[in-house]
Amino acid sequence: MKRLAAVVTLASLAAVTACSGGGTTNQSGSGGGGGLFTTIDVNRPGLEPSAPANPYAPKGNSFVGYNAMNIAWVNNHLTDPNQALPGIAASWEIAPDNSSITLKLQPNAKWSDGKSVTAEDVRFSIGVAYTQGSTAFSTTPGAAGAAAEVTVVDNTTVKITQDMANPSPKFARGVFDTIVLPAHVWSSVLPADFWDKLKASRGEGADAEKAREEILALGAKVLAFAPPKDVSAGPFVLERVNPGEALLVKNKNFFNAANVAPSQVKFLNYTGNEQIWNYLSSGKLDHSGFVAAPTDVMNRIKAAPGSEVIKGYSPVAVGLAFNQSKKPYDNVHVRRGLAYLINREEVTKVASPEGGTAATTTSGIHQKAAQAWIPETVGELEPYKTDVAKAEEEFKAAGLTKKDGKWTLADGKPWKMSMHAPSGFSDWLSAQENIKSQLIKAGVDAEVVTTTDYPLYLEELAAGKYDAGFWLMALGPAPYDIFQRLYGASNGWANVAGKVSHSPAGKSGNWMGGAEEIEVDGAKINPGELTGKLNSSTADEAKPIMAQLAKAANQDLPVIQLWDYVNNQFVNNSRFTGWPHDDEILRSGAKVLLSGVWIQTGMIKAKK
Amino acid sequence: MSATLIPEAASATGTIRRNFWRGVWRVMKRKPSRMAGVIICAGFAFMGVFGPMFYPGNLPGDANQITQPPSWAHWFGTDPQGRDVLALVITGSRYVLLCAAVTAVITVVVGTSLGLFSGFKRGRWDTVLMRITDMKLTIPGLPLLLVLATVWKFGSPIQMGLVLGLLGWGGVARAVRAQTLSLRERGFIEAARGLGLSTRHIVSRELLPSMAPYIAMNMLISVTGAVYAQVGLFFLGVLPYESDNWGVMLNLAVFQAGAMIQPNALGYLMAPLLAILLLTLGIVLVVDAMDEIFNPRLREE
Repeated sequence: MKRLAAVVTLASLAAVTACSGGGTTNQSGSGGGGGLFTTIDVNRPGLEPSAPANPYAPKGNSFVGYNAMNIAWVNNHLTDPNQALPGIAASWEIAPDNSSITLKLQPNAKWSDGKSVTAEDVRFSIGVAYTQGSTAFSTTPGAAGAAAEVTVVDNTTVKITQDMANPSPKFARGVFDTIVLPAHVWSSVLPADFWDKLKASRGEGADAEKAREEILALGAKVLAFAPPKDVSAGPFVLERVNPGEALLVKNKNFFNAANVAPSQVKFLNYTGNEQIWNYLSSGKLDHSGFVAAPTDVMNRIKAAPGSEVIKGYSPVAVGLAFNQSKKPYDNVHVRRGLAYLINREEVTKVASPEGGTAATTTSGIHQKAAQAWIPETVGELEPYKTDVAKAEEEFKAAGLTKKDGKWTLADGKPWKMSMHAPSGFSDWLSAQENIKSQLIKAGVDAEVVTTTDYPLYLEELAAGKYDAGFWLMALGPAPYDIFQRLYGASNGWANVAGKVSHSPAGKSGNWMGGAEEIEVDGAKINPGELTGKLNSSTADEAKPIMAQLAKAANQDLPVIQLWDYVNNQFVNNSRFTGWPHDDEILRSGAKVLLSGVWIQTGMIKAKK
Repeated sequence: MSATLIPEAASATGTIRRNFWRGVWRVMKRKPSRMAGVIICAGFAFMGVFGPMFYPGNLPGDANQITQPPSWAHWFGTDPQGRDVLALVITGSRYVLLCAAVTAVITVVVGTSLGLFSGFKRGRWDTVLMRITDMKLTIPGLPLLLVLATVWKFGSPIQMGLVLGLLGWGGVARAVRAQTLSLRERGFIEAARGLGLSTRHIVSRELLPSMAPYIAMNMLISVTGAVYAQVGLFFLGVLPYESDNWGVMLNLAVFQAGAMIQPNALGYLMAPLLAILLLTLGIVLVVDAMDEIFNPRLREE
């Protein structure tokens, strides 16, 4: 065994040496002042060697945080959506009324080919973002939090104003999430009259419609664009990709290059979670983002030399959502009965012991964020502790009857609760299998049905094909984002240009089919309209609304909140140290590879 | 060679039949492994038919006993839901074996009838049927199943068996035709023709019995083929996970319980593998016994 390990080490050393092309000094392993950093891109299984270094290409070899840079790196703050770490922008000023943001770029920012990163690059990148449609840069008329003007003030200053017709408190966040591209390499993807077209698209009528279509048509060109070689403003630049790994080398022109510890970064290929477990339990990776793992596997991973699991906040929860157009889920007593039956602690223990915390109750908010937003209300909510007697009372109130130990529908027909999940989501399947067992034990017949993949699952869910299915919810930190998962389009409320309208169950994507008005504390409220209000309210205005909505969700139970996710980050201290343990730093936006951000800020040091 | 003997057995009187069973018994006794084979096969048949009756429809799990290693209480440990792995193997056997049985029956019925018909009729019918068979043989089974799995859920073992059976008869049809072509020129068939016996009689009473052992062996072998194919499909995760099937167990053992990384889940991985191994072994041993029962050359030794 020992000899085998030695051979493997030698072979990997040789491989590393062979990889160190381009004149980069190679100090592999635990050597000081550099070395090879090994990681994976958890967002994207399967490396594609022929894919371009294009961050917009679905399989593109562009790793956000490493060789692709955002304007800034958004935190997942508990309550403030606009907190971020500097990226290409060194600092920024947000107008008090959120009407504009002025970005100051890093004074020394350079592309890997030596050219400076300019305000024009940022403006160009925003143009490209329009072709893909992002939160801040959208051509959809009346979209909330969309930008109105992009102005280059000077070579390192860009000012972006928000369209105040339908403002959003998270406008700045939408700006931060933009990837900055080198205009001198990408110039061919946008036509010369792009900005005129954009202006034309803002109007109304056929011309504007045509301009919008033309801008969206450019999107395909952007997705397919292949730069001749990677030109990066990030700490690394793509060297080569083969089916097994992608190699990135340090970008000597990076503005903070002196503080970037690794000289090379290797992204390993993987196709499934069990492969990542393997890498982690053998101590191969210096960092990996969140991966669901059963307890025993987690213990193996923790036992690997140098291995450490950093737990952070993740603003997501999962719930069992009901299609209320289907019987008997239209009856709130049935939903409450089920909430009393399902032991959430047990579900979490079986399904996601390391990656989740059992929900304290159904509030529609992650329990950590709930404590920050509405601490007084949380205590007033019904906790739905497992209680078979209460469940039976609720079922009886709903008119269900128990025959030979089995609950049947009010009309005497058998009741089988059918739960759906996409087949790749092992934690969801485990959870549903456990819920099924719990329900059958209590006399409610149940089954678990799988769907091939997540997109198809969402499509069928939206088409109203399922009785009940798992649903991601509480997507913080913005209050509107949190509650629109329960009282948004999927429950009938469409928010177009700041105007909320309700469609009946089964129409316009309304698959939840909840009541339009709910009685909370003796007063009727319209949860969809309240949620819509959150989109333009300040934090102080939002709090009472959120308290009402949390109560509504708690009483009406459009979903049963099961567990709140924990953001596990896997790191290894054998070769690099300095991993952040501060919750604040761990919270980062989607697609962003956290270790890239940590490395570029100089936080990560090679082990001496 | 077997041809000269089997027709007699088939059209035999009581004494000959008794002799046949005595012969069977003698062949079985000669090698105890054959006895083991029969016992294994009978055991699996019993397990598939009656096994699931010993367990509730939904196996009880224990959240405090998730993925435990083998113990006295759980011989093969428990799965990630805290259910007994042995119970899962037993309840999963019905799907696997029923599907395999359906596959075997379809393979043999379709393959034998087409082979016999083509070989006996010859001429145009033979050409047409054999070209169809050739075409069928060129269809790669696994990729086709992967595609079919996207539209069909294969929730019931009969559906699954039907598809596997319809994919698997080609080889049998070709082999049976070859046998028929050779047999139809033999003396006893010519004699039957000379006696003016009907085609139906010749095919069902003269030809078929001569080939019975060959067909029976093919049937058993297609059982193992069907087991591998369906378990493989479930293992790859292309089929729905809700069926009770050994392949689903293998899939969950590797991809959910992490059996390749942590030893606690090894029992979960090994149990269905052992079941497949044992079933294959049983079938191989029975085929060995059948070979000697029906093949006079081996029997005379």
